[in-house]
Amino acid sequence: MLARIAHELYWLGRNLARAEFTARAVEAVFRSELQASSDSTPGVFFGSGGLLAILGDVDATAGNGRPALDQLTLDPGRPGSMLASIERAREGARTVRDVISAEMWEAINTTSLTLREGFEAPRWEGATGTSATSQYVKERTALIWGVANRSMLRDEAKSFLDAGGLIEIADMVLRMLRVALPTTSFAGPAGDSAGTSDGQALILLQAVGGFHAYLRAVTAPPNAHPVARFLLFERAYPDSVAACVDSLHDCFALADAGPRNSKPVLRVSRLAADLDFQRRALPDGAELTGICEQTQQELAHIDQDIAERYFAGAASAGERR
Amino acid sequence: MADYRPQAPFLDELFEPDGSPRPTAESLIRDLQRLGSDGLAEAGRRRDAIFMQQGITFETSSAGGASGHHVERPFPLDLVPRVLSGEEWRAIKRGLAQRIRALNHFVDDVYHAREIVREGIVPWRLVVSCSHFARAVHGIRPPGGVYTHVAGCDLVRHSDGTWKVIEDNVRIPSGISYVLENRAAMARLVPELFASYRVRPVDHYPQLLLRALRSVAPSAESEATVVVWTPGPANPAYFEHAFLARQMGVELVEASDLVVRDDVLYMRTTRGLERAHAVYRRLDDDFVDPLEFRPDSLLGVPGLVRAYRAGSVAIANAFGTGVADDKAIYTFVPEMIRFYLGEEPILENVRTYLLSDPEQLEHVLGRLGELVVKPTGESGGRGVTIGPHASEQELERMRGVLANHPDRWIAQDVVRLSTVPTVCADGTLAPRHVDLRPFAVFGERIDIVPGGLTRVALEEGSLIVNSSRGGGSKDTWVLEDSADDADRAGPPIADTQPPALPDLRYGGWTGQQQQQQQALEGAPGP
Repeated sequence: MLARIAHELYWLGRNLARAEFTARAVEAVFRSELQASSDSTPGVFFGSGGLLAILGDVDATAGNGRPALDQLTLDPGRPGSMLASIERAREGARTVRDVISAEMWEAINTTSLTLREGFEAPRWEGATGTSATSQYVKERTALIWGVANRSMLRDEAKSFLDAGGLIEIADMVLRMLRVALPTTSFAGPAGDSAGTSDGQALILLQAVGGFHAYLRAVTAPPNAHPVARFLLFERAYPDSVAACVDSLHDCFALADAGPRNSKPVLRVSRLAADLDFQRRALPDGAELTGICEQTQQELAHIDQDIAERYFAGAASAGERR
Repeated sequence: MADYRPQAPFLDELFEPDGSPRPTAESLIRDLQRLGSDGLAEAGRRRDAIFMQQGITFETSSAGGASGHHVERPFPLDLVPRVLSGEEWRAIKRGLAQRIRALNHFVDDVYHAREIVREGIVPWRLVVSCSHFARAVHGIRPPGGVYTHVAGCDLVRHSDGTWKVIEDNVRIPSGISYVLENRAAMARLVPELFASYRVRPVDHYPQLLLRALRSVAPSAESEATVVVWTPGPANPAYFEHAFLARQMGVELVEASDLVVRDDVLYMRTTRGLERAHAVYRRLDDDFVDPLEFRPDSLLGVPGLVRAYRAGSVAIANAFGTGVADDKAIYTFVPEMIRFYLGEEPILENVRTYLLSDPEQLEHVLGRLGELVVKPTGESGGRGVTIGPHASEQELERMRGVLANHPDRWIAQDVVRLSTVPTVCADGTLAPRHVDLRPFAVFGERIDIVPGGLTRVALEEGSLIVNSSRGGGSKDTWVLEDSADDADRAGPPIADTQPPALPDLRYGGWTGQQQQQQQALEGAPGP
């Protein structure tokens, strides 16, 4: 298929995933910041400040709470906002309308139009607007992915779309972990965390949407450490970093003409193996920030390799600053 | 809203008697005014829609209740929260912990040494006459000596501002799911009300419960398996059972899933029998084991009490705890606190008359019109007669019943329940009576979730708050103050900032082309 089309699909996937994860995170943070922190000493911290830091060039001087979060919902001037991500997805989808199904195009287009037209509508306004917007974006992205899964041929095109979504999810999860995990200098509650329940780690789980999955998969109480391990290594949870990397490998194994000599494929398999190794080799309670950082760098390299091999270098705009 | 008047002689929790807002409630009242009655009515409609959608409902019989036709209604959450200061809450919390510790001692004592009986403080006759006294568990001491793992005491606030305990629930108190769902709904529906407050969160309750259940589970070698045991989907509290199981990430089991082999409790799984170490049971003693309690129970697991006796499974709450929340035993709780703990009770009882005492019976019969009469073995507001609200015929009938079965009834002074402004159908506010049921979890220590379930009598002047009888609920806010802050210095935000997001500008092919096009257009002419 055309390199340009592959590139658009890849970024369509990324933008959709980014909008969805922004929405989840905004909703979780919004709800938690209405209340005071919970009884126990938090082992992680995840608030609107951290969220703004993750989403990069949002104006960090906007303060905390709703005004800060509102920049992430419907502010068209903010590249990190859900509206901006959806708009970019729509622009992308427009250029590949022949490749994606009509149904999928409609789903994306409607989402974008509703958000934009509804910008002035009472539904998105006022104090309830933040959660209403997040809820809408969550529902619509789920719908878009659902339509894509049912209506698109499982060919190269779908592989690139999925690959974009997967790499973005892994990247967002890593970002959240890097902001939320305690730094090494703050070793305090790690020791006695065995018994305490950690409200902030719960927020982190809710921000990713993995609260229920965590409870079913892990018996340890949701504290900073087991939550971080779960989000990094749990293969059975589709949005964990390890599961995303695995699926990413499957995508490229299908899409690549010669996967045995392909740099991105080789890199992805090495990362998958490395994550598996770390999961088994690391003792409980080991420090995880280093791994998060390495994995994220590795994902950046993969992104670069993908651009070079498949998009004829078109993704130079994706360069890390 | 400006014409809201507190109803003397009742204490209003948000307004002073003269109609001005109390200091803690000032900004709340201001935000409520800003919302206005239209805003409140609109939020109420959205609340009903959301609750129906999420299935947070309860069933009531329709007007022709006898037909057995049930109607599902959204759970009635009132949008005006109740506000408790940090200081007030700490006193309640200390008082509850003390009371629950004493009740736990009492259950242990009743089924073992019976010291409190031998000391002549509680009459044995009264203990054995309790409908929830369980001979079957005599001499069994569960792990950690904890019987009342989950407790919910009903508190009311008298017009002089003091908190009184009106009822203890140490069998299967329900309502905690509504505390959590109410808070989530409030944050979604009226987030503006939270703006000026630091409200302590409640959503860690399932984790507290899970930790407590694990801590009492008899499993030495592996991680304990905890289950929630429900009578089934037809139970009115099924929503809560499913909610707790989901929030704790444990299995929700019914009797048919459980089996006892060689005094060990197992559940039937796709991989054969698997052991269950701790059971949070949500059905009454009567039904749990047809071999020991009611033989006609179809909801029970034969042999469960034997397994419990063998110590291979922990049951929360333990069998036989009902003896401690009997309404006749309630009278003795302050004495228990003095006897077992050597402390003075922090929370008072409501003045109660034991009708098995002929002198007290005579006194009660004389002024039945001023008292509340309750059956001892019931819960949920069933069978309660409120003297001042009852007709002369009802009182006359009651006198007959009391004279015949004095030991099945108690009488209490009428408590002037405090009021909190509550939204009426048209969006205006009116004072309605409330009580408070905080939830405590007893594992290795006692944890109490800040606040609890505030139940509100939605009908004007009514004192009955039970949801089965037209009651609603309110979100209960415990405010954080400086005393809570001391131990909460959060960790610093990670100093390593993640790299900037890739491609925030709309990049790629189109971006480059556009740049190039723009560059061409902007190029100076030749």
